[in-house]
Amino acid sequence: MIELDVNNIKKNFGGLQALNDVTFKVRGPELIGLIGPNGAGKTTLTNVLDGVIKPSSGTAYLNGRRIDTLPPYQVARAGLGRTFQVTRAFRRMTVLENLLVPAMALHATASRRNLEKRAWEVLEFLTFEHLANDYGRSLSGGQQKLLELGRLLMLDPDIIILDEPFAGVHPKLMETIYEYITTVNARGKAFIIISHDMDTIFTLSQRLLVLDYGELIADGDPETVRHDPAVVDAYLGEEEEETGPAVFEKDKREDA
Amino acid sequence: MNRKWLWGLIALAVLLLVAAPAGLEPYPYIMHIAIVALFYAILASSWSLLAGYAGQFSFAHMAFMAIGAYTAGIFGKFVRLSTSATGTCSEIPLGNIWLVFLNASGDNCLELAKANLPTGTLIYHPPALPGITLGIIMGGVFGFLIGVLVLRLRRTYLALFTIGFSEIMRVTLNAEIDITDGPNGLELTPLFPNGVHLLGFYFGPANKIPPYYVMLALFLGSMALMYWLAASRFGLFIRAIREDEEAAAALGVHVVRYKVLVFVITAMIAAAAGAVLAHFIGVITPNILLILQMSLVIAMAVIGGLETLIGAAIGAILIEFALEYLRTSFNIGPIEVDMTTWRLVFFGLLLMLTLRFWNNGLIYPIIQRLNRAGVAKETVAKRVATGEGTVEGTAEGG
Repeated sequence: MIELDVNNIKKNFGGLQALNDVTFKVRGPELIGLIGPNGAGKTTLTNVLDGVIKPSSGTAYLNGRRIDTLPPYQVARAGLGRTFQVTRAFRRMTVLENLLVPAMALHATASRRNLEKRAWEVLEFLTFEHLANDYGRSLSGGQQKLLELGRLLMLDPDIIILDEPFAGVHPKLMETIYEYITTVNARGKAFIIISHDMDTIFTLSQRLLVLDYGELIADGDPETVRHDPAVVDAYLGEEEEETGPAVFEKDKREDA
Repeated sequence: MNRKWLWGLIALAVLLLVAAPAGLEPYPYIMHIAIVALFYAILASSWSLLAGYAGQFSFAHMAFMAIGAYTAGIFGKFVRLSTSATGTCSEIPLGNIWLVFLNASGDNCLELAKANLPTGTLIYHPPALPGITLGIIMGGVFGFLIGVLVLRLRRTYLALFTIGFSEIMRVTLNAEIDITDGPNGLELTPLFPNGVHLLGFYFGPANKIPPYYVMLALFLGSMALMYWLAASRFGLFIRAIREDEEAAAALGVHVVRYKVLVFVITAMIAAAAGAVLAHFIGVITPNILLILQMSLVIAMAVIGGLETLIGAAIGAILIEFALEYLRTSFNIGPIEVDMTTWRLVFFGLLLMLTLRFWNNGLIYPIIQRLNRAGVAKETVAKRVATGEGTVEGTAEGG
């Protein structure tokens, strides 16, 4: 059973309160959307959970193990994987090597042959077999996004945080990523997905967390959150006719 | 051409290197250049592992080399072996032999002891190997310290930091005359002070063949070690760190460990090369730490190919020989072209042209072509099979 406990996380950057008392739990393979205006603290929260930055106060536990004090590589090995807002494929390494990095980091004693076998399974899942020996830099931006997701499959974490997986993505690739998320989720992995694509995130998520100015202002199922006055006021804005939440007038702050 | 051919070429090159003294023995000058060329090949290839593979653009490589050389030299200067206890120097018994430490201001304690030593007492320099070993260890220690200190530094800041370290080393070696003999240089005993008896042949202390094989063994050993490392998880991780430290860490790579390790390993290799060369030449001076010397190693690696160990090594050997060959001055009509200076201008031009037009180096593209020829064919075949013409054919946005 996957258990993530985020307790009263605060993060200050000088005078800026990037996260203020953020508390939530993840139980089991949930599919959670994390939304909020730019600068709300979504990426900061990801960085705190990932170990890139340490919280000013508060704690985070993954499956009973405290992770907010661990460096990123240990958090990854503890079972939390992530992607970044900007795609970060290893550009001067082949696709196969990209996949082997997390596998070899996680399995120090496993033979390369066995890990390569697993990498080929992931390549097959991504329909990337023909690109195995291509360098990361020769892939299109969309393919690099898929490669990042493939690396997470090799890391095999319990919880996967995806930072803007649908940003700047062709509709066909969006479908592929959507399918990836639902398939991997069905295999028992929990997801926290940061996205500004409201239609997709409301459809995909079983639960939504909404951050505003570093505070968690809503936590619930998409339908409840959609009509939450605090969320409407802070982020979604008034609905126009029946087309859903698509007004982003508040969405003007810099990302934290 | 496939990988088998590549391995064949490597085997042929190794054979040529091993057999070279058979033809070059009558030409000690060429043998001398060959030894120095192998020395630079070790430095350029190990720097290529550090900068090309791991992305740590360090200017401290010659400093690590000098640490190895000076440690070996200082060990030789202040340590003697004696068949009796001196009673006046600090000393440690090692079975029937005493390890004697002289004080830094000269051989006074030994002079004092000489009157009272039993007749037949032998006092002699230690062999080169313990000093070289100490040099390698000291190189590793300094590699570790610098590796830890530069953990948070990247690119320009790393380069500036390591230039600073290198300059501190140079100035210290110049200033501490009592220990290092300052600008005059520290003298070292030959690698084989009594010559070598091998396979029925005797090679005198000044013969270039034994040091050639020592340097060649070091070169081949370090290349084998580095290729093994590069092909292992170590190589994979340092390349991932070069590409993106944060992403590598997020995928479970212990970035600190591997960044420090690559400094330690390459520093030890550089120190070993420095210690062996210092014993071969017989003297080491702080001028070896001039920024020009480090630039030479970097240029050799860049021209050969920064991201290939063998490319950097071949680049170093070719350039060392070319620089020596180009020393010969010539006349254009009444004007004498002094090549002792102009050769460096040509070398600089070659470096500039390489960076401008072939920034992967001159050797790297050839090796890459040989190495990935089969891979490329395989990939194209798979693409054809899946009905895709090019990589862009599968582009799906982004």
